[in-house]
Amino acid sequence: MKLKIDELKKIRFFDNYTDKQLKIFISISTIKEFKVKDILFEQYDELSDVYVLLAGCLSLGISLPKEKRIHLGTLEEGQLFSWSAVFSPYISTAWVMATCPTKVLAIDAKKLNLEFEKDCGFGLNTMSKIAQTISRRLSDTRFQLMNQLTL
Amino acid sequence: MLNNNNIYRPIRAKLTDVIDESSLIKTFVMVPEEEFSFKTGQFIELSVDGIGEAPFTPSSSPLITEQLEVTVMKTGYVTGLMHMMKPGEFMGIRGPYGRGYPIDRFFGKEVLILGGGCGLAPIRSLLFTLESVIDKLEKVVLCYGSKTPADCIYKPLFNRLNKIAKFEAHRTVDKPDDEWTESVGVVTSLLNKISMNLEKSVAVVCGPPIMMKFGTIRLLEMGYKEDQIYLSMEKNMSCGLGKCGHCMMGEFFVCKDGPVFTYDEIKYNPEIWK
Repeated sequence: MKLKIDELKKIRFFDNYTDKQLKIFISISTIKEFKVKDILFEQYDELSDVYVLLAGCLSLGISLPKEKRIHLGTLEEGQLFSWSAVFSPYISTAWVMATCPTKVLAIDAKKLNLEFEKDCGFGLNTMSKIAQTISRRLSDTRFQLMNQLTL
Repeated sequence: MLNNNNIYRPIRAKLTDVIDESSLIKTFVMVPEEEFSFKTGQFIELSVDGIGEAPFTPSSSPLITEQLEVTVMKTGYVTGLMHMMKPGEFMGIRGPYGRGYPIDRFFGKEVLILGGGCGLAPIRSLLFTLESVIDKLEKVVLCYGSKTPADCIYKPLFNRLNKIAKFEAHRTVDKPDDEWTESVGVVTSLLNKISMNLEKSVAVVCGPPIMMKFGTIRLLEMGYKEDQIYLSMEKNMSCGLGKCGHCMMGEFFVCKDGPVFTYDEIKYNPEIWK
């Protein structure tokens, strides 16, 4: 199942791409569906897809020894995650689990990187968005850390 | 002889109800024995006879003058004694003091409210006020974060707000329990799920200093201008009259010049997030 350009335009992550660039996303992505409690990927898994949440609810967290899962946050519709698939060593820094029936857009990260080489403007724009996602996640993590340190 | 002109004299107020909001937070409903009114965002000094007083921003609607609600977190000696008080007993109220929210400047705009922990108390009063002028606003979005579901105060408020046209309310917690179905994470993570027209928007931030700092930074990243961000500062207000100096923040007396400031008014102050 593939999305159409107009559907992609409604998703926050894709708000400033040209139609040509949106077509690229569509050609290298698939829609995946998950049930409640499905694990999309575990922490330290090698990742091949970068995801955008289309609908549903996802929980993101880290694992502690003895298989204890710590929930760090929820992801919102239109948010990008699994960004580690784009960067070496392609290893996830967190696990992601569906907490309700969920639909995601799975973008093939290798193919995406090849498209970046062909169109550097497209690459810069997408990498800027990914960097913004990481920056916000880092800022939220610092906020959480400060909360813990000042308890 | 009683001096009615004494600016430090509190008004007696009879407690009519005490509501448990969480293990550390209670809302005191009281009826002042004299005429009393306030503007949303202004604060009062609430006292226990013979013990002491502490500053609080009322959490009730300023449009209801016959009774007052004040939400108090148990943090020390005076608030600990307040938490032991029961309906029928008396508290003292002095004020109102300071500069509240300039509601007329919000007209025609979208209002984003970012709250954390006990910071929802003054926000609740603001929400009641905004509800009364909702025809003059584009929309009101509340993003609220607390540590755990048990720490979430005013639980029925969120259901009610989400049923009012032009209002939307979102909650998140740092540590969910098994029954929590809403967002997880710090309050700034809720900003990923909302959409605001930044050209016609103002933001209000109220909560613990760390939350206010990270919240303000994220709002600036989103594109809010410094004069579009209203901060409700709590800075150890004591006399409420700009005389004792306890609440001084740079050139400002928070009790008199605030407690509501725009970020551009106080951004250079090194004590802003302390």
